[in-house]
Amino acid sequence: MATDLAAPETSGSTTTAGRGKRPRPPFGVSAVSIIAVLIALLSLVPLGYVVVMTAATGWETAVRLIFRERVGELLLNTLLLMVLSVPLCVVLGVGGAWLVERTTLRGHKWWAVLLAAPLAIPAFVNSYAWVSAIPSLGGLWSGVLIATLSYFPLVYIPAAATLGRLDPAIEQSAASLGLGAWRTFFRVVLPQLRIAMTGGALLVALHLLAEYGAFAMIRFDTFTTAIMVQYQSTFNGAAGNMLASVLVFFCLILLVAEVRSRGTARYARIGSGAQARALRLPLHAYQVPAQLFIAGLTALAFGLPLTFVLRWIFAGGPGIWATDEFLPALLQTLGYGLAGALATTVVAFPMAYLAVRHPSWFSKALELSNYVTSSMPGIVVGLAFVTVSIRVAPEFYQTTVLLIAAYVLLFLPRALVNIRAGLAQAPKELDEAAQALGKPPLVSFIRVTLRLTAPAAAGGAALVFLAIVNELTATLLLSPNGTRTLATEFWSKSSEIDYAGAAPYALLMILISAPMTYLLFQQSKKVAGQ
Amino acid sequence: MTDSQTSSDAPSRLPVPRIAPSVAPSTNSHLEIDAVTKNFGPQEVLRGVTLSVAKGGTTAIVGPSGSGKTTLLRLIAGFEHPGAGSISLSGATVAGDGFWVPAHKRHVGYVAQDGALFPHLTVGQNVSFGLSASRLSGGRREVAARVSELLEMVSLDPSMAKRRPHQLSGGQQQRVALARALAREPELMLLDEPFSALDAGLRVATRRAVAKVLNEAGVTTILVTHDQAEALSFADQVAVMRGGRLAQIGNPFVVYTRPADRATAEFLGDAVILDAWMEGSLATCSLGGIPVRRPPAQGRVQVMLRPEQIRIAEDGPIRGVVVDTDYFGPETTVRLKLAVPPELAAGAAPDHRFPGGGEVITIRHWNASIARPGMELCLRVVGEAVAFPMDGNGQA
Amino acid sequence: MKIRTNALAGIALAATAALGLAACGSGSSAPAATGSASATADAKPSGEITVYNAQHESLTKEWIDAFTAETGVKVTLRQGSDTEMSNQIIQEGAASPADVFLTENSPAMAQVENAGLFADVDKATIDQVPAEFRPSTGKWTGIAARSTVLVYDKAKLSEDQLPKSMLDLAKPEWKGKWAASPSGADFQAIVSALLELKGEAAAEEWLKGMKENFTAYKGNSTAMKAVNAGEVDAALIYHYYYYGDQAKTGENSKNVTPYYFKNQDPGAFVSVSGGGVLNSSKNAGAAQAFLKFITGKKGQEVLQKGTSFEYAIASDVPANEKLVPLTELQAPTVDPAKLNSEKVTELMTKAGLL
Repeated sequence: MATDLAAPETSGSTTTAGRGKRPRPPFGVSAVSIIAVLIALLSLVPLGYVVVMTAATGWETAVRLIFRERVGELLLNTLLLMVLSVPLCVVLGVGGAWLVERTTLRGHKWWAVLLAAPLAIPAFVNSYAWVSAIPSLGGLWSGVLIATLSYFPLVYIPAAATLGRLDPAIEQSAASLGLGAWRTFFRVVLPQLRIAMTGGALLVALHLLAEYGAFAMIRFDTFTTAIMVQYQSTFNGAAGNMLASVLVFFCLILLVAEVRSRGTARYARIGSGAQARALRLPLHAYQVPAQLFIAGLTALAFGLPLTFVLRWIFAGGPGIWATDEFLPALLQTLGYGLAGALATTVVAFPMAYLAVRHPSWFSKALELSNYVTSSMPGIVVGLAFVTVSIRVAPEFYQTTVLLIAAYVLLFLPRALVNIRAGLAQAPKELDEAAQALGKPPLVSFIRVTLRLTAPAAAGGAALVFLAIVNELTATLLLSPNGTRTLATEFWSKSSEIDYAGAAPYALLMILISAPMTYLLFQQSKKVAGQ
Repeated sequence: MTDSQTSSDAPSRLPVPRIAPSVAPSTNSHLEIDAVTKNFGPQEVLRGVTLSVAKGGTTAIVGPSGSGKTTLLRLIAGFEHPGAGSISLSGATVAGDGFWVPAHKRHVGYVAQDGALFPHLTVGQNVSFGLSASRLSGGRREVAARVSELLEMVSLDPSMAKRRPHQLSGGQQQRVALARALAREPELMLLDEPFSALDAGLRVATRRAVAKVLNEAGVTTILVTHDQAEALSFADQVAVMRGGRLAQIGNPFVVYTRPADRATAEFLGDAVILDAWMEGSLATCSLGGIPVRRPPAQGRVQVMLRPEQIRIAEDGPIRGVVVDTDYFGPETTVRLKLAVPPELAAGAAPDHRFPGGGEVITIRHWNASIARPGMELCLRVVGEAVAFPMDGNGQA
Repeated sequence: MKIRTNALAGIALAATAALGLAACGSGSSAPAATGSASATADAKPSGEITVYNAQHESLTKEWIDAFTAETGVKVTLRQGSDTEMSNQIIQEGAASPADVFLTENSPAMAQVENAGLFADVDKATIDQVPAEFRPSTGKWTGIAARSTVLVYDKAKLSEDQLPKSMLDLAKPEWKGKWAASPSGADFQAIVSALLELKGEAAAEEWLKGMKENFTAYKGNSTAMKAVNAGEVDAALIYHYYYYGDQAKTGENSKNVTPYYFKNQDPGAFVSVSGGGVLNSSKNAGAAQAFLKFITGKKGQEVLQKGTSFEYAIASDVPANEKLVPLTELQAPTVDPAKLNSEKVTELMTKAGLL
């Protein structure tokens, strides 16, 4: 899933690198291109799988399996979930961002971080906590509740980054043209948030399509949960594959929507000069309601899950810390996370390099193929890799390599977006300057470009790590025999309603995620130029 | 108008000197560019450029944006390969004819538009970046001493070595970039619009400081700029570039006062262009008869005068009515509609020999109060005009 | 910048470590190649085996720990659900890394058997298991059993309101009153028994009524918890979820009473959990030994004395004393080899339950 929260900003900044109009004959570009093409081809495996499987199922069977009542129910569920949750996420995300960034909300610095904090709680842990609090939770409205509380930060973070960076002069001009605070907000501020909002909203929608654990726990059926049920009944049977192709169809629609919304509108890059601080609207009498709103939102989205996880920890006592189960799961999770993050970063670099230094239809096509895959839910990528590896590459079946490859495909954009932003900080003029100072291309590349890109790449790697730690579906399908991660252990315990036993895993996932979330939050601000 | 490349084949038509008097012909030429072309896809950026730069000389390549001047500089630096033609440094071919010397082996100093300082390194680390390993083995102290020396050379306090690039002003950054490029003691220094990012006052001061350093170090320098004043003041050879070709090469005074064609004339400064009739070496136009050195043709031509050649006189036959004025403090620009010359005004039959009359021209004057819209002024012309034939870009 | 540099170095270091870890991970996950395929059951088992386990992980772990302690054979588990793993084994074919396959219910075993992927179970093992708990083919064996049960909320339903037959649950008066976990292999086994006992038309009809009436939960324990919390009146599950919870805290079953259908009703179905050794096993000796161990006295005592509350069936080990004895259950007679999981999945998909 593409958590490219900072993406809109980066596209603008790449122009600084392109002053030489066209690429010089670069060192090793052909090698870089070949690597990039191979990865892009690999990334099309899941899509190809769905197409081939649909074809192999046969038209008649496919129609029978797609146009049936159950699919209708799932369709309705999924659409209702999106129609209800996405606007709620946008309202909460933008509202929160506005209060925190543009009003005299007391303690806004703390609230700013706390509003991003729910992202540290995996959606299925959130669901688990809520089910502990209200056992009868189930159905559409519960789905909307969990989804909204889990995913509104995906809108909040880019919205806050953009709001804090907006040129106050524009709002001042609006005020001088006689617009009041509210009308200024709706007519001047909100339009400038468009990219942050649509980008965030589409990201939320993709997450809604891909999420399994959170909805399975509250008995809300979506395509992904239904595919998982089919998988558990038939491995990769035709009915499951057809559901997957419908799901992929949805994802592609969302992807096209995202590309379109981003294609025409771009932020104007703000110059490097010292920028005036954003204006803060005095809240006066609204201070208390605003505080209550933010506190309530934080309590529901972050406080409640954390409380219930801790409650189960205390209720479970020392018995739940069975180190012989716990420690291997932790180590394996860290191992997968680090290996996956490293692999993803290494793979993303050539693509980002091509996109920034040698932009062309070719590099765009490569990038697009990656975004297509990353929009695929983990369950589809998992199914595709299981099937393809069994039939085509049995030597990779049930190996760590395959699982890591799936992680790379799923989370590539997170690394890509960050490295692109980093490369934009390292324009090729610097590389050339180093060469003019007598450094061979490889040396200047390492000492300048790579060195300058490193912090951003590290940030991207951290995000990939976070995603892997919380990944459930692809891990369930692809992990080698005997593998246990925090997420899968948590899932198996909570599925058997051993809530106390699941609590340590939940706590650990939160603890690992927290610093990464903070990093993501900081980075969104940095990319936005704060 | 034909450009300098083709006109060099027909010197009789373009009597402008190709090499500035201050630069000796190519016996000790440092850089030779021979018929270099460069395409980016279908776009021809350089269409055959030939240029010779003498050792120790200062050449400014000036031209509007998109004229190919930066590409030419990048070819010299080794960041781009030429399509055809060759480039040689101190007699050795570095590009073309099957030769290719990569940028890092050319020993050419290069200062980019924004300085291109490495943001992750301190000023000192930036300056010592290019120092060779053998020099570094001289120990930290020697490196530090060399950095201090270089910083002093560009008029920066050596204590700045510990700062980060972002803590410096734009002018300071440019000077650090220069010091960094000088550290390797290059014999050829390439400057790509290094002053354009600076504000006006800083630009002049930095330009002077840089010119002084480079002069004292005896470094051959090529400056690329779109600012003609910068080119004229900085260099002892100015190469005017347009549409991927060199339109004119010469010393600053010559290219300014005797531009090869109308476009060059207008690019290098304000120009008053008038239709005229050439007879012998005298051109007759709305400003009367003006002497022309080496007229390119007889009969109908266009003459070019610089605004500062047109003065306000106490009295005289040539008059104009003030249209409007712009006050700039030290000077005022005055737009005048020229009167019809007396030879024509007397209701005489139209005479093809007197093509002018009624043109609006711009002149400069120090006294703002002398000109008010509607006032009639008397004018006189100082010095010679340059005449362009009616074909080429001198068309009527 | 300094801090970033350090962070970067940290990540690089950690990543290097991770690669090492990952390498270890893939190493240990590789299928065991030790032990010869032609090992006889009498030879001392050694090496490693991989078990595809659809049984409760905690139960299988108890078996594995005891088995490893006794033989030194290292056992790697892959956890999944019945038909997920049977289909997986069929797709993997001869390349399957699995040596042993354990399920909760019989249909998945029958599926793998029909695909011809099971080796014959050692005679010594077969001899430990009574004939009614294993297929006549001898390709796999029962390892444990569980009974269908309707758990209900006494406050909501009186005894005379309880259905006489499981088939009654499809009638309109039960609309909105009961729960089940249709995605689970357990429930699908119950449907397969229904299919076997009453035929396809009746099964399809019943599933249609069920779709109208029931509430879906994920997992039997969740369904029972829902009854306990008063969300629904009753749930069709297996017996041991109730006894397991009672033995722990009873938190999820304190308001719940189990009700057994009688008279060989499909709802009285006793499902046999199966175990088999794959043809493709590279360590058949150890695999057969494992199967023999779990159906042997020690293995069955894990069922009798442990916390699983599944029925012990072999080696004359009696069931846990808290359970209703198997002989009193009036279960219908069903040949476990005849249970058809593919047909069940198809019917349930058609009914919109999957």
